[in-house]
Amino acid sequence: MSEDVILYIVVATALAFDFTNGFHDTANVVATSISTRAMPPRLAVGFAAVLNFVGAFISLEVAATVANDVVEGGAITPTVVFAGLIGAITWNLATWWFGLPSSSSHALIGGVVGATLAAAGAGAVLGEGILGKVLIPAIIAPTLAFVIGAIAINVAYGITGRERPGPVGRGFRFGQVVSGGMLALAHGTNDAQKTMGVITLALIANGTLSESAEVPFWVVISAATAIALGTYTGGWRIIRTMGTRIIKMDSAQGFSAQGAGAAVILTSTHFGFPLSTTQVISGGVMGSGAGKRLSAVRWGVAGNIVVAWLLTLPAAAAVGAAAYGLTELLGGGAAAVAIVAIISAMAGAVVFLKRNRTPLLGRSQARAEAGA
Amino acid sequence: MIGTIVDTKELWETVVASLVAGVGITASFSVMIFSLARLADLRRSDRPLLAAGAGGMAALAFIVTAGGIILGMVVMLSK
Repeated sequence: MSEDVILYIVVATALAFDFTNGFHDTANVVATSISTRAMPPRLAVGFAAVLNFVGAFISLEVAATVANDVVEGGAITPTVVFAGLIGAITWNLATWWFGLPSSSSHALIGGVVGATLAAAGAGAVLGEGILGKVLIPAIIAPTLAFVIGAIAINVAYGITGRERPGPVGRGFRFGQVVSGGMLALAHGTNDAQKTMGVITLALIANGTLSESAEVPFWVVISAATAIALGTYTGGWRIIRTMGTRIIKMDSAQGFSAQGAGAAVILTSTHFGFPLSTTQVISGGVMGSGAGKRLSAVRWGVAGNIVVAWLLTLPAAAAVGAAAYGLTELLGGGAAAVAIVAIISAMAGAVVFLKRNRTPLLGRSQARAEAGA
Repeated sequence: MIGTIVDTKELWETVVASLVAGVGITASFSVMIFSLARLADLRRSDRPLLAAGAGGMAALAFIVTAGGIILGMVVMLSK
């Protein structure tokens, strides 16, 4: 009975993480399209939500969960998964508060690593896995997208530069709708899979499913729905950062950034090289700005984003470890997990509602951005 | 040391394929936009032969771009 209660809480927390993953990462797909007016904002997030939902059904083969590559499988218990998810949700909300695009996957890995450290010690953490699956891709992927974005925008300007801006702008805006759709599908496939993997892992750990069992359909549909709802809610703060605060973007830059991002994500998927969609798209946006003119990039904003990337793993790990520690301090059973879940849900709701009430821009800031 | 943690051959293939795909798709789509814009101008100025050439180039660029998108879909579906 106690195990079942913990399992229900883990499933609910995983779906809450999936929701934050959706609204946190909406910007990856729609920010450039909204910024260049390729699509109206509400239509763009609706389009992205539908394609994220569809993307979750494209591949149902749950790959070895990322967590299995960074911590010993035997150390993963439902309570560790729960604490890891709390760490990831907390970091997603914190970066959303400041409007910073950061990796939800790295937050999940950080949370699970921190909870595992607290539960089973450093011996249960696979250092090589963290280096190979998280740290090296975190350097290579955005750098590659940056370089491709910079080359691509120069190619695009070189080919279309002498044509009238009207048809060229319309053409690239249409291209952005297609490339944005590809990104939304890829995001739904990749990120909803992680939540499905986490829930399936908890079901297996609880003995509800056998190790060889397929992902239950209710898991697929609930994960797809949570990420789609999160996407439709729209992380407007991060959309604003990605779409207008890093660079002031034209439609050719938007298309180049999205094209660079889609190319890196899909080829990496093909070759089995793991990466963060957020970091790739951010790299593409910065590259398409720097390729036009180095000073076109607001390097202060870009620096803040990179600092958030560097902090993702340790910060989510610290919260994951603290959540696990608090659960153990309260007795470690179902009641303890329930208390931590209720405290976290209330804190998350307060943060979400309070920040959502704050206008995106103050009057003076809005005037400054309009004049920029 | 990095070579033992990350498959460097796989990494190199990812870098080259991403570069070719990202720059290639942008180039082919840009050629399509350019050709379509030229096509409209040439038809307005009543130069059918050149307009046909621009139309052919736009069609070729469309095929390359669409091929890239289909390849991307295949990669996603075959994961």
